[in-house]
Amino acid sequence: MSDVTCKKFILDLLVDYEDGTMPAEERALFQQHMELCPPCLRFLTSYQATGKTLKLLKPEEIPPDLARSVLAFVRSRAGKKT
Amino acid sequence: MKTDGSAAPAEPSDLDLVQRIKSGQEDAFEQMVDRYHARVYSLSYGVLRNAEDAEEATQDTFLTLYRKIGTFDESKKFFSWFYRVALNQAYSRARRRRPASTVPIEDYLPRFSSDGHIASPELPDWSASIEDGAIARELAGRAGEFIADLPPAYRDVIWMYDVEEMSTSDIAETLEISIPALKSRLHRARLYVRQRLAEISQAPAQEEVSR
Ligand SMILES: [Zn+2]
Repeated sequence: MSDVTCKKFILDLLVDYEDGTMPAEERALFQQHMELCPPCLRFLTSYQATGKTLKLLKPEEIPPDLARSVLAFVRSRAGKKT
Repeated sequence: MKTDGSAAPAEPSDLDLVQRIKSGQEDAFEQMVDRYHARVYSLSYGVLRNAEDAEEATQDTFLTLYRKIGTFDESKKFFSWFYRVALNQAYSRARRRRPASTVPIEDYLPRFSSDGHIASPELPDWSASIEDGAIARELAGRAGEFIADLPPAYRDVIWMYDVEEMSTSDIAETLEISIPALKSRLHRARLYVRQRLAEISQAPAQEEVSR
């Protein structure tokens, strides 16, 4: 494990680091590399920011009448097969 | 996720509802709408980014359910089938507004030199800019468009994991893929979105002068 490159960290290990499934020993190595390698650290930061940004795509609220409007819509169309 | 309680006045399972809908019981369809309208709306909203379109996509999705439920194979998991119906509905509506262009994901993966160090010319770090809520939402909208350009195998995984925050086991089951396959697709999809976000953050505000 001594000769792990940035490529391996970024392409193979990053996803396990992020979801917490990386074994402790490997995790320590990973963190050590991040401290010593500014390009990888920048990469990690922006990778994490990507995940955070995506969470904003969820709507803040569901329209209160939605279930009713869906049912009304389906009932109005259901007879007409197209 | 609901567990499948055995006795008690438990909630009917998805399969129970499907069978009852197939046999023409209206109230079973109502229960299905009750159970899933929020999820369908939420994913439609993420794809379409506006409430009116999301509502229409939700209506269309349930109409498709009503009409096509006869074709659902009961040996499969209902939600994985239905989720795809919903996602396809949302994306086809989105495509009417913006033509689809499937991108070669490889073009956006990081590059390395022969000794394994990062070789991509590093773009300015945009991560800090998401602390500004308005910028973050703008970037999220663009990220949603970038995801829409991905091949479905990648699109669905990143959508379920990063946007909907489903668990890996639920996603693997829904998409009927292994967890290693899921993680590999998720990772590549994120690398792609990361790169595209970095690129637009570098060249700000040249487009969108007028809507
Ligand atoms: Zn490195």
